[in-house]
Order: sequence, then C-alpha cells, then structure tokens
Amino acid sequence: MHILIVEDESRIAKRIERMTRAIFGDALQSLQHINTLHGAVRFIENNPLDLVLLDLNLNGESGFDLLATAVSGSFHTVIISAYKDQAITAYEYGVLDFVPKPFNRDRLEQALNKTLVKGKTAAHDIKFLAVKKRHRIQLIPLEEVLYIKGAGAYTELFLADGKKELHNKSLEKLEQLLSPSFERIHKSYLMKMSELREIRVETGSKYMAVLKNGERIPIGRTKYKDIKAKWL
Amino acid sequence: MSLRSLPLFLLLLVASCSQSPVFEQYETVSRIGDQQEWGAKDLDDQDWEKGKPIVTGGQIYWFRTPIAILKTPGSLRPYGIQLDVYGEYEVFWDGVLIGKNGNPGQEAVLPPEGKMWATFSIPTHLTEAGEHVLAIRSSLYHFPDHSGIWGLEMDHYDDLLNDRLIESSYMHLFAGAFLIASFYFLLLFLSDKKEYATLVFSISCFLFFILILAEFSKAYMPIHYSMHIVRLQLIGSLMFGISFLIPFYFSMQFPFPKRKLLLTLYAGVLLFFFLSRYVFELTANNMVLSMWMFSFGIVVFGAYKKRKGARLVLLTLLLSVPIGFVTPFNKSLFAGFSLILLGMFYLLSLRIKEQRLAYETSLVQSTRLRLELLKKNIQPHFLMNTLTSLIDWVEEAPKKGVLFIEALAKEFDLFNQIENKTLIPIAQEIALCRTHLEIMEYRKEINYSLQEEGIDLKEKIPPGIFHTLLENGITHSLPLEDNSVKFTLNFEANSDYKCYTFLTFAAGLGKETKKEGTGLKYIKARLTESYHGQWDFTSEPADHGWKNTIKIYS
Repeated sequence: MHILIVEDESRIAKRIERMTRAIFGDALQSLQHINTLHGAVRFIENNPLDLVLLDLNLNGESGFDLLATAVSGSFHTVIISAYKDQAITAYEYGVLDFVPKPFNRDRLEQALNKTLVKGKTAAHDIKFLAVKKRHRIQLIPLEEVLYIKGAGAYTELFLADGKKELHNKSLEKLEQLLSPSFERIHKSYLMKMSELREIRVETGSKYMAVLKNGERIPIGRTKYKDIKAKWL
Repeated sequence: MSLRSLPLFLLLLVASCSQSPVFEQYETVSRIGDQQEWGAKDLDDQDWEKGKPIVTGGQIYWFRTPIAILKTPGSLRPYGIQLDVYGEYEVFWDGVLIGKNGNPGQEAVLPPEGKMWATFSIPTHLTEAGEHVLAIRSSLYHFPDHSGIWGLEMDHYDDLLNDRLIESSYMHLFAGAFLIASFYFLLLFLSDKKEYATLVFSISCFLFFILILAEFSKAYMPIHYSMHIVRLQLIGSLMFGISFLIPFYFSMQFPFPKRKLLLTLYAGVLLFFFLSRYVFELTANNMVLSMWMFSFGIVVFGAYKKRKGARLVLLTLLLSVPIGFVTPFNKSLFAGFSLILLGMFYLLSLRIKEQRLAYETSLVQSTRLRLELLKKNIQPHFLMNTLTSLIDWVEEAPKKGVLFIEALAKEFDLFNQIENKTLIPIAQEIALCRTHLEIMEYRKEINYSLQEEGIDLKEKIPPGIFHTLLENGITHSLPLEDNSVKFTLNFEANSDYKCYTFLTFAAGLGKETKKEGTGLKYIKARLTESYHGQWDFTSEPADHGWKNTIKIYS
C-alpha cells in the first residue's frame, strides 16, 4: 500500500500519519506527507499510489482543483477536511470517503478500511467520473456512462453517445465507488443495471446482457444467477 | 373659516379679478390752498394742476378725481370707497363730507391721527349711475412728494371690508404653514448641527412668514402714513434676506466652481438694489429678478451635472415665470416664492432620505463587520483544525494540551472584549496577535515570532486588522529554513500621518499575485468605518516575504 497525505497543518498530518501506520501495519509500503498543493500534484504525477488522504484547504487555496486531479488518478481519494459543507461535492466527484475534522481513530479507520473491502462500499451518490486528458481533467456525468470494460490497470467507459473514454482507475476500484447502480456482471465488465433490457442465453450456455441501445455484453457464468435475481 | 369654503374663496378670487368694475376713474387734478367750495361737484377745475404736486410744510391742498359709477347699487348694499393715500385728509363725495382721516392742516400741532388705508361708506342717494366727483382736502406733513391717490377701489362697502379680511386670513393660514416648517427644520438642524442647508431653509421659511405678515397685516393693523416707510423698509429687508438665501441654499445643494466669489458678487448686486431704493416696487422687482436669475443659473448647472432633484426644482423655477406674468406683482411674489420654497423643501426631503439610507447602510455595514470579526473564531478552517490539533495534543501530551487550551481560551476572551468596539488600544490588538501565534505554534509546529518597534501604547486602531494580516501571513507562507516565520510591526508618526508597517518574513510568499480576499476587504471596511477617506492601505510582496502598510492621515 502506497499512501500520500496532503495536509498543511503539521500536527494534524502527524496524527494522520501515526494512525494510518497503526491501522495498516505491515501492509503499508510507503507513506509520504506533503504540505503544499504544487508539491502534491507533482508527487501524484510521478509516483504510483493506492490512496491519497487530502485536505481541501491548503495555504488558503481551494483544493478542488487538486481533487479533480486526484479522482482521475488510479488511486482512491479520502478527504479529511474542516468544511463539512464540501462533503456532498466531494462525493459527487467520486471520493471514497469524507472525514470531517476533528476526527478520531475509529472514524479514520472506517474510511481506510473501505479501500480494503472488495465490492460495494460507497453508499454515496457519485455524479461524475474524472477522466484525465492531455492537459486537463474532464468530468463525465455518470448518467452518460452505460457500462465499463476493464483494460488491464485501466478501464474504458462506454458512453450513451457511442464514445469511449479511458479511465485510470481499475475495474475493482470503480466497482467500490459505483455500486449499487453498477453491477459487476463479468470479470471484465461493470454494467449500469438501469440500462439492461434483457438477458439472453446463447448456444454453448453463454449468457449475454442486451442493453437498451441493443449492445450486448457477456455475463459471467458465476454471476448469472445473481444478476438475474437482481434484475427481476 | 372652514376648509370647505376654500374652493369658493379661490373662485371668488378669480371672479374678483375678472369681474367688471362698478366704476371708472378719471384723471386727478390738484391745487394747493384751501377753499371750502373746492369740494363741490360742479366746480370748474379746468385750471387745476395735473399730476402730483409737492406740498411742503404741512399746508393744505385739494385734489379732485371725477368718477363714473357704472351701476346703481341696491338700496341695502351701499357703495364704499377704499383709499390708499398719504397724508391726513377729509373726503368729499359730490361736495358732501363722507369721511375724515386725521386732521388736515394741523399735523404739526396735533399728534398723528388717521390710517394709511381707509374705507368710507358713500350714502346711497349719491351713488346713482353717472358722473360724480371725489374731492380730498389733505395735508402731507411727512412726505411732501407723496401726494395724490396711490390706490382707489370702489365696490359694495361690505365687500370692500370683507374681501380684504378673507384674503388676509387665508394668507395668514398660509404663513402659519411656513412658520411651522421653519420651526420643524430649525429643530432638525439643532439635532444635527452639521446640516446647514436645513438651517438656511428654516430661516428662509421664517423670513417668508414675516414677509406675508408684513404684507397682509394692513387689513387689520392701522398704520399712520408717517410710519408706512417702516413697513416698506421691513418688507425690503425681508426680500433682501430671502433673495440672498434662496440662491445660497441652491448653491449648497448644487455646488458649482468659484462658489464663494459668485455668491459675494451676487450679494453685492442685491445690496446695490437694496440701497438704491427710489421706488419701492422697482427695488423689490430688481431683487426678485436677480434672485430668480441667479437661482436659475445654479439649478441649470445642477441639472446639467445630473444632480438629484435638480430637474424638478428647475421646473418649479420655470413655473414661477408665467405666474409672474399673469398675476400682479404682489400676488406673483407670494405664489412664486412659495413655489420655490416648495422646490427647496423637496430637495431637503431628498437629502434627508439619502441620509437615512446612508445611515441604515452604515448600520448594516458595522453589524456585518462585527459578525466578520466574530466569525474569525468559529469559521471551520480555524475552529476544526484547532480542535483536531487539540485532540491530538491531549491524547499525546496532555500537559501541553492544557497550555494549548489556555491559549485558546485567552484568544476567545480577547475576542469577546473587542467584539463590539470600533476602536481598541493597540496593546490589546498585539495581545490578540500573540495568543493567535501561540495557538498556531501548537497547530503548525513552526516557530512564530512577533516584534514591535516604536509602538505608542496610547494609540487606538480598529479591532482585528493586524490579526487579519497575521492570519494571512500564516496561511499563505511556508517557514524559513530554520522552521520559523517572523512578523514585525513598526509604528511611525508625524504631524501629517501615522503609519503602521507590518512585515512577514517567510518563504513561499509573493510568487503569485493574489486577488483581494475577504481579509483585506475587512481591513479596508474597518479603516473606512473609523477614518472615512483618511487612510491608505497597501499590501505587496517584498524580498523577505510580504509587506503591509497602513497610513492614517490626521
């Protein structure tokens, strides 16, 4: 586990660091603390990470620009902030959790554990998926996404207008963020349940999900029963 | 008289202007000397003098005016004659003595008797339609050059008396309104002594009140003709005062360049007219005309500059012109003046409204500033970060945690003390900054220090302004290599201004130009609240970090 703490209050940063070390124990491979926005952006670009713990207000600057960059990355983001009113926006951007200050160890542990749990964890409504383009971050409304296909460490988002976007997060991480509106119907596919028109059984007992726009996506053998039950 | 009869009265007034007169007056002839038969109707006065003779030494002279009565009156409504004649005299109508006003010829020996305006009843049998002769036996001890008839009116005797009373009673009501306005605005001025416009308006109203009284009291206040000059002088002085005050008032409401010089010149012109009083009416006329023109100029300038209310006042000034043309001078004078006073009144009400709005805004503003100050301690960034750090200190090093809590308590306490003040001693502000630094040391674990130079402890400043600069310095800066951030507060004063310089010595400052944050807005609003426009505030990057200067001019 590679973790970055972005926090300009030294005492609080130390507290987060201490607790994180205690919670992850040996699972922790690296832990870095950075206290400026620029430093954080540079670090995120050049280092592989699994989790970023981010304060939204650094040295008087809003961390929302950094937030967009962070959620477009391959890692999960947990916000630790004094501004509770920013929580909803943060969730819409697709953060894994929002920990309001002041916090205790239990609350931090609860947030950090979400990164370990497989499948459904986030109970909050995410509205966007941030996609990193050449020089900018594009926020793609979730309602335009029909299904998502895993492509190695990345994922491909298939949109309602027929376009395809590459996303940096793995299918597993997206599954953690997007349930329950999206279901893992195959080891390589996440599908929006509301888009499902019918389930077809084809020769060789292949199961196919037919979407409302006519596209067909395979359903994994082990998943079939589960999906059918949820659909009906 | 009830208000219901007001329209009736106005109608009468209009009617009396347009009503065809009951008589026609012919040329007056006069002769110095005294013979009883000179009053007779059929006297041949071909060789009498035309025009007005100069009668010196109080000797007796006669003058005769032929009058044609156009309509025979009803038996119950006799005609009367109203005279505006200088001197003491006896009145003969067709050779019959119908009235006596003083003792002609004996003025030097007897005390003054008789009044300036007298009304006489004429016996009904002498007022058949046709030619008649009014003859007056008079002496003019005091003003030898004021001989002859200055005013003559004939109508039903009752109407002559009543109309004048009715007219003057309405004018007195009118005057009362101006008296009340004058008191009201005087009290308004006394409650706020900076508002000279209200005082000028109050004085104008009062002068106008006296002017109306002086003009219309003649209906019921008998004056001997020798005293009439006093009344005219009084009216002249009042007109002089009003004629100066009205443009003066407008010049206050619509300021223009070279105001003092032009006003002085104008006062000179007025004074010239006032002192060169050959003919009263002409003097008054000149004063009123110059008043109107000067005011008009000022108001046109105000309208050109798009001053509030200037257009409406311009309209009232223009409206007073046709009134001046249509009605006789003594009526147009009052109508015109009251119209202009109404315009002034309107301006004043506009200003009062503006002031009220400004006051309300300032109230809202100072409440907002107060809230802003209070918010410093409860805004989430400060409070939640402080509490998080505090929890950590308490958990990890309880003794230090207690010191932290004490520092926090001290800052809250200081905020409570200054929360409702607009100026606080500089020592209190510095104490506030120091406790804040203490708290921030616990939070950020950076060595903060604040040095003062040349601080005068007697000085006062608005609360929270250095605290705000300190907060900005802490938020936007990174520590130097020795993990420290230094602040200095320097004070200089001379006869022109006091200057505070607040320096931040830190890294990572001034790389980007920042837009004005709420902190700087707070400082500027506080400075404006206490020093109005008399301050300067600069905030800029410097070699060592950041530099703020606050100059307060004396």
